[in-house]
Amino acid sequence: MVVYLKAGSILRHLLKPNVDYYTRCVKTDSGKSLKEILTNIGINPGLVAFAYTRGKVIGLDYIPFDGQNITLQPPVSGG
Amino acid sequence: MTLSDREKEIYSRQLLVPEWDQEKLKGAKAVIVGMGGIGSSSSLYLTAAGIGKLRLCDGDRIERSDLNRQILFNGKSVGKLKVNEAMQRLISLNPYVEIETISDFMNEQNAERIVKDSDIIIDGLDNNESRFTLNKLSVSNQIPYVYGAVHGWEGFVGLFNPPHTACLACFLDRDVQKVDVIPVSGLLPGIIGLIQASEAVKFLMGIERNLEGHLFVYDSQNLTFDIIEIEKNSNCPFCST
Repeated sequence: MVVYLKAGSILRHLLKPNVDYYTRCVKTDSGKSLKEILTNIGINPGLVAFAYTRGKVIGLDYIPFDGQNITLQPPVSGG
Repeated sequence: MTLSDREKEIYSRQLLVPEWDQEKLKGAKAVIVGMGGIGSSSSLYLTAAGIGKLRLCDGDRIERSDLNRQILFNGKSVGKLKVNEAMQRLISLNPYVEIETISDFMNEQNAERIVKDSDIIIDGLDNNESRFTLNKLSVSNQIPYVYGAVHGWEGFVGLFNPPHTACLACFLDRDVQKVDVIPVSGLLPGIIGLIQASEAVKFLMGIERNLEGHLFVYDSQNLTFDIIEIEKNSNCPFCST
């Protein structure tokens, strides 16, 4: 199956988008958690402050379905 | 709270806006913790809008590198205390707002004093550790907290009102990897501070369509945004007990 990961700011260059400016299409086995998917593509899950899909926050233990879009946000702390 | 003729003149344009309640806003008190890029913007617009009382808290002095985004200050401000310069600028904009200053950095010892008696807390901080301190006070004192943060081209605004809604810690992990040097577009804190002020004003006036319980995620580089719902976390270390 595939999952579409979209990343904000500093995560974007690590994600290496291949669909559009923000988004990378990742092929993965079904049943993998978001944390496992990130690890498999070489992204440290510790760099993700939170993630969300369909307007709601999800944890890194979330298991995506085929074709799902998920946005990853890095730590944002400036003021 | 009644308005003088001079105040009615100042606010004449917004008094025409449906649901606008200037008297309710005049009776409200906000505290802004952190008077950097975001705090400069939020304080400016809350003052212009006519909030009754504003308490400004920051222990920092102005540096030349602040001037690209901390719009309350100018070249003559360099070296001076941020809260003092801010108060002078804000009073000259609107003398009908009562402004109080605390020229200190917020910490665990003084935080309670900083937020006491406030109707709303506005986040102008530059580190998440202090944000969690502010969040703890929001939860324990049941004061709504308008979160704001920026990085690069992206900014966040959230309005958390525990116990009615989630708190900051319901979605933000305290142990997430820290970033030491924070790049920020000079324009972005202005936008985020303005949205914070707008949401705070709506909340204080009782306008229901506001960001309460939600997070606004803004990408200024691509001019896109998301509004996401933040659900209460039953395992939240701050608000679940």
